[in-house]
Amino acid sequence: MAEGSSELGDFIMKIHLIISFCFLSLLSALSSADETCMSPYMAKIEGQEDFVYIWTLGLEGVGDGQDKLVTVDVNPKSDQYGKVVASLSVGGRHEAHHSGFTDDRRFLWASGLDSSKIFIFDVYSDPSNPRLHKTIEDFVEKSGGVVGPHTNYALPGRIILTGLSNSDDNGGRTALVEYTNAGEYVATHWIPTDKDLRGATKSGQFADGYGYDLRVLPRKNLMLTSSFAGKNNYMRELSSVMGDEQAMQQFGNTMVIWDLHAKQPRKVLDVPGAPLEIRCAWNKDHNYCFTSTALTSKVWLVYEDDQGEWQAKAVGDIGDASKIPLPVDISISKDDTRLWVNTWNDGMTRLFDISDPFNARQIYEKKIGTQVNMVSQSWDGSRVYYTSSLLSKWDKQEPAGPDLQYFKAYEFDGQKLTPTFALDFIAEGLGAPHQMRFGAYALHGVKAASR
Amino acid sequence: MKRFLHTVCLLLFSVWSTANVLAPGYGTLDYQPPAVGSYVLPSLGKAADGQVRDDQGKAHRLHELFDDRIVLMGFIYTQCPDMNGCPLASYVMKQVQERLLQEPTLGKKVRLISLSFDPQYDTPEVMQAYAHHFRRANSDWRFVTTDSETELTPILSGYDQWRQKVYKDDGSYSGSMSHILRVYLIDQQKRIRNIYNAGFLHVDTVLNDIKTLAN
Repeated sequence: MAEGSSELGDFIMKIHLIISFCFLSLLSALSSADETCMSPYMAKIEGQEDFVYIWTLGLEGVGDGQDKLVTVDVNPKSDQYGKVVASLSVGGRHEAHHSGFTDDRRFLWASGLDSSKIFIFDVYSDPSNPRLHKTIEDFVEKSGGVVGPHTNYALPGRIILTGLSNSDDNGGRTALVEYTNAGEYVATHWIPTDKDLRGATKSGQFADGYGYDLRVLPRKNLMLTSSFAGKNNYMRELSSVMGDEQAMQQFGNTMVIWDLHAKQPRKVLDVPGAPLEIRCAWNKDHNYCFTSTALTSKVWLVYEDDQGEWQAKAVGDIGDASKIPLPVDISISKDDTRLWVNTWNDGMTRLFDISDPFNARQIYEKKIGTQVNMVSQSWDGSRVYYTSSLLSKWDKQEPAGPDLQYFKAYEFDGQKLTPTFALDFIAEGLGAPHQMRFGAYALHGVKAASR
Repeated sequence: MKRFLHTVCLLLFSVWSTANVLAPGYGTLDYQPPAVGSYVLPSLGKAADGQVRDDQGKAHRLHELFDDRIVLMGFIYTQCPDMNGCPLASYVMKQVQERLLQEPTLGKKVRLISLSFDPQYDTPEVMQAYAHHFRRANSDWRFVTTDSETELTPILSGYDQWRQKVYKDDGSYSGSMSHILRVYLIDQQKRIRNIYNAGFLHVDTVLNDIKTLAN
């Protein structure tokens, strides 16, 4: 070990001055910008993002009615700034929901919760005009009965997907599914239940086997999953679900600690009320992740305690839970001090101070629209983007207008959001916009000038 | 030196930068890796074949070099200045080499391969000089390159290893490349069993994976 350390020291010494020289000379030109919620395995964008790719639900009577990948130019220096520059329909409606890049960021995987199809888009050949590269149509069969591919998350050379449901009963029992970047099935990892803990420890009341989001902390070998509901619930009218006591029992109440390297579940944590999106801290000493619970309206912290054990704790209230604000997407700042929390039902975005991760305090709020779901911010936090759609059966239908189904861009100065542009996805004939992912020419060795 | 400075600057400017934080592979793991044999490494597909040339100038098929051994193969180029790129791959592979030399029974089952994706600069002679910095005399570590882009392209495609040459304003090749670090663990049946990148590559986990395959 001593020999290795010495070699490393020499190695660093040799190139440190060179790196420093170049870094100083370029410091003023470099401004990192990227989503703060991406896989740590992901290639990062340097500078201004050029595009936002929006995975969009098709709506009957709106344009061609199909699910589609919509590309919006978001570079202020472009003469197409604020405009839809490409729209690629995939044929039919699949309940377009989440999407994610491969680790080399050349391909965008976008999945459908209803059809369980996965569409793989090439976003590197022409970042301004993605093309459909491949469609995976046998996800359910290959995975052994997993339904509703949700999170498409990059691992080295592969994608791991969370399911939401299963083909046996369309309930919430589900699994994680691995594919190669080329779209070849690799393995299925079922989420532990009371009947089959799969080697995990049940730490509380629940072991429901449900799934939703997935994030990792590679430095701790941690993979963390959350839980939502099965197809019986997510493809049913929201009012119908909420009026059905039995259906309301069919929501996830757990998060699972996994061994990232072994892909084995280690511990099931109680996090009641449908914990959804997971965002992990970036600082190498911050061994924790946040989530929000849709039904109980709280910010939860999953953290490593002093004994090295992973625990979960509610650390903040989101609005007035009795009014069912329904927290949805969240986004953490690169310095781990701020957390955007959207509440879908009242269309509000809320900024929480999470400097003390055990005491999340709301410090700002702004109404974005009739409903608001996803939020994505640039790496430096100065640009924040929002979309409106949650699920086709849950989305509001009125009042019609530009605040119903939209993509909105804002500047954030640390204190307040200032709108820069907005697109009405109904008026544009596009549909209901959901997940946003950033693209940039620079990622693929293409200069912006070549546009 | 001037050329090297220029290369470094171009790389920093044109690719995602991870150089400001050292990758985990340079330090000690902050966790206990899963025990050897306690987990499964599912196949990630067939490891592609291709035409390469070793640092003595001798031509080989890549599968011939695999020689029914467990193979740890990293794509590199010798001018790579990103500390969390190719130098990390070579650094960790050197650590793996040291461990394998301490366990000769296991070492006989394993071959290390560093394959350049810069045939324009990385000739067999350059690879030989590069190997001097890493390879111990009694270890099984091959440093190979290709004759041209014609031989290289299908290999990169087969391993889904993306790399992009960075060109100067005058259109000439700068000598640097944008790429994402990939090191591949390949079993005796020439199947890819794990892929490591900068956030994942560490001697302890790699060695456990090798032992898991060997067992």
